[in-house]
Amino acid sequence: MSIRDTILVWVFVLASTSAWSNVFVHWTRSAFPPAKELGLNDLVLSWNDSFSPLVKAARRQGYRVYVEVSLHQSAAAAETVASGLEGVILTVRQSERAELEKSLPKLRAAHPKLRFLVLNPDGKQPEMRGSLVIKRNSVLEVSSPTAQPWIDTNLALVKIEQRSLQGQIPMYTFSWGGLSDSGQQQAALTATDYSLAVAEAGAFHADLILQLDERLQRALSNHDPEAWTLWNQVWSYAKFYSDTSEQRLEAAANVAVVLDDLDTSDEAMNLLARHNIPFKVLRPVDLNSGDLEGFDVVVVFAKPDRGACQRIADLATHGKTVVLVEAHGSYPWQNGHPVRLNEHAVAYAVGNGKVLELSEPVTDPEMFAQDIRRLLGKQNVLVSLWNGLTTIAVPYREHGRTLKVLELVNYAEEPLRLQVQVVGTFTSIRYETPEHKCCESLVPVKHNGFTEFVIPELRIAGRVHLEANHFNDSRASGVSPR
Amino acid sequence: MRCDNRRAAALISFFLIASFVQSSENQILVYKKKYIMGTVFEIAAYDQSSEHASNAIERAFQEIVRLDDLMSDYKADSALSNLNRSAHFHAEKVPSDLYRVIDQAVQFSRLSDGKFDISIAPLVNLWKAALRGEGTPSRAQQEDVRGCVGYEKIELSPPDRISFRSSCLQLDLGAIGKGYAVDRAAEVLHSLGIRDALINAGGSTIFAMGAPPDQTAWLVHLRDPSNKIDPQVMLKDGSVSTSEQTAPSLLGNDAAGHIIDPDTGMPLKTVFTVSAVSRTATVSDALSTTLLLLGPTKGKELIKSMADVSAIWISHEAQVETVTGGPQILFGRGL
Repeated sequence: MSIRDTILVWVFVLASTSAWSNVFVHWTRSAFPPAKELGLNDLVLSWNDSFSPLVKAARRQGYRVYVEVSLHQSAAAAETVASGLEGVILTVRQSERAELEKSLPKLRAAHPKLRFLVLNPDGKQPEMRGSLVIKRNSVLEVSSPTAQPWIDTNLALVKIEQRSLQGQIPMYTFSWGGLSDSGQQQAALTATDYSLAVAEAGAFHADLILQLDERLQRALSNHDPEAWTLWNQVWSYAKFYSDTSEQRLEAAANVAVVLDDLDTSDEAMNLLARHNIPFKVLRPVDLNSGDLEGFDVVVVFAKPDRGACQRIADLATHGKTVVLVEAHGSYPWQNGHPVRLNEHAVAYAVGNGKVLELSEPVTDPEMFAQDIRRLLGKQNVLVSLWNGLTTIAVPYREHGRTLKVLELVNYAEEPLRLQVQVVGTFTSIRYETPEHKCCESLVPVKHNGFTEFVIPELRIAGRVHLEANHFNDSRASGVSPR
Repeated sequence: MRCDNRRAAALISFFLIASFVQSSENQILVYKKKYIMGTVFEIAAYDQSSEHASNAIERAFQEIVRLDDLMSDYKADSALSNLNRSAHFHAEKVPSDLYRVIDQAVQFSRLSDGKFDISIAPLVNLWKAALRGEGTPSRAQQEDVRGCVGYEKIELSPPDRISFRSSCLQLDLGAIGKGYAVDRAAEVLHSLGIRDALINAGGSTIFAMGAPPDQTAWLVHLRDPSNKIDPQVMLKDGSVSTSEQTAPSLLGNDAAGHIIDPDTGMPLKTVFTVSAVSRTATVSDALSTTLLLLGPTKGKELIKSMADVSAIWISHEAQVETVTGGPQILFGRGL
């Protein structure tokens, strides 16, 4: 992408984004409730033979209409359906990413009035999973890969998309699957199911294409009061993430994960996410050029080239811990004395830090995540939760500075009393949820550079606003002291 | 983060030949899950009325929540927390469920000659800190804490009073509480007319009531760390529980783990995963931890002294030891 293209994309993103996260509704029926009643303005339609009349009908109801197409269809779709469209959403699989990098600038140049967004279609239905998997007329299977409640979350996917698509807010969708609590397959998606999906995308600052059940679409179009009661709850969640005053926040992270292949199915990152270890995804090129000062631990899954090896050595020299996974080469730090930790792991002390070489791929992602938390050390953990096995917390900060916001999502979908510890000294803790608007003041307890507080009730979503006083110490920055 | 005292058995798997929507007998399968006791409880129940089954499952969940409110060591206002605060000073009157589960736990301690011990909590907490990377406890710390451990210091006075003969004794029901809760949930389902159901407590304890329609039992696939054997058991009105030690660190050399051997005061070192099958979930739950601690040789002796109990030990290298006094443990492959 040229510099001009990059600037144009960023200008477009900044101009068109007024919220942390946006919910696009995927609609499949021919009748639409008015946009102002639905409360959401961005409608996504599939490209098919009846597409054009649908666009007109949807626009008449006040929607900004997008068409969802495969990368393969994108040029043809943009040519034929441009009239009246707000934009084109490109469904791009992992294998098509290289092709995307070539075609996207061309599409944007050819259709400057159309918005082109890239969609990752491989999201998961967010949920706290049980071990039972029931298949129609088949088998019931139980498996529990970790000691913790198994949470299906899209946080790792969002982190990867953030690196993969610089210049666009990550956008994903997923298909509803499995059993509802009533035992009916896809028959009873509830307000809670939709709300959790919206909350997750909102908390992760990602855009979501929400697939609405056809029965709900029909019921909403037919003014069914029960359907509108359900939808109003979902809408309150969407509104919760669009009514935000603090726009200039970035996800806080002190663990970097360096990847060759941006594969969203990587379990090691999913487990880091589920253990509430804030991480940022980097490409090998970032090792050479990026600012890595804020990271305490750097996990390198990529094969490092000569320059990257030198950077790893430099990082370790300056006190970082670098974990090199599947390390089989000769590296500059190996001049030092090796300490064998176990059959597969060797440590090298380098300057003020260390490099750990793991000779194998990560065989136990659960244990690996726990290892990374241990390597961070108690003093460098940005967020800790108690009674939070079903909760994911994402901390945000102003650029390079103070932690400002903590977004919380509870996948158990039932009220939970949660104890939280964040790095930094904060004098004011305010809590809001979609159900109870801003803000309830919580009592901060300051302890050794950390602040602890209790969230009295987290049902699905909650947001904590953290405020340090003017004399805040370095710890409030969310960057660990040296 | 809060951790379970015993790790849920990873990778237990079941298969049941089940007609999902309706069976030939018009039995409808209803499934629900709920987060309780730090894990996901799941109940799948057959009934002719989905509404009735659904209500029954909700009542069973309510029972588990009630028991969690009694037995939790995390909740400051639970009956167990109150007991842990007061029983050093006087014989504390406790709810009947709490008395029953502690009574059964002490019986298991006697049966296992102290390998199973609900007073192990102070040592577990000491080593939990090591698991969090806070350093291995010193020998002196270990010795200090070991003085606080010992089931013999629990004094039960029927029908409902308990006192501690130690000023630092603390009870933790993590190795038996979920099993007890599963049994009570099964009683609730039974009292409401549900005959065929499966209750799964986070994968570590599973109780089967009756059987799926047109089947003689529920076929449950057990945890197999070797992935070579596929052990299975046909469960009908019975329970299976699985225990294993925390997996070793990939990037360290610590020997921490969540199952502590009361004899050494240190994390258990074992190559095995154990599944224990019995008539009740309380017994299978307590037994799986006990058998892990005892190992196959002593464990088999214990099993032979009990009725209707079977067990299997499996290592990552597919070393298998079994003992059968109850339901037969089958092998899907390998042996």
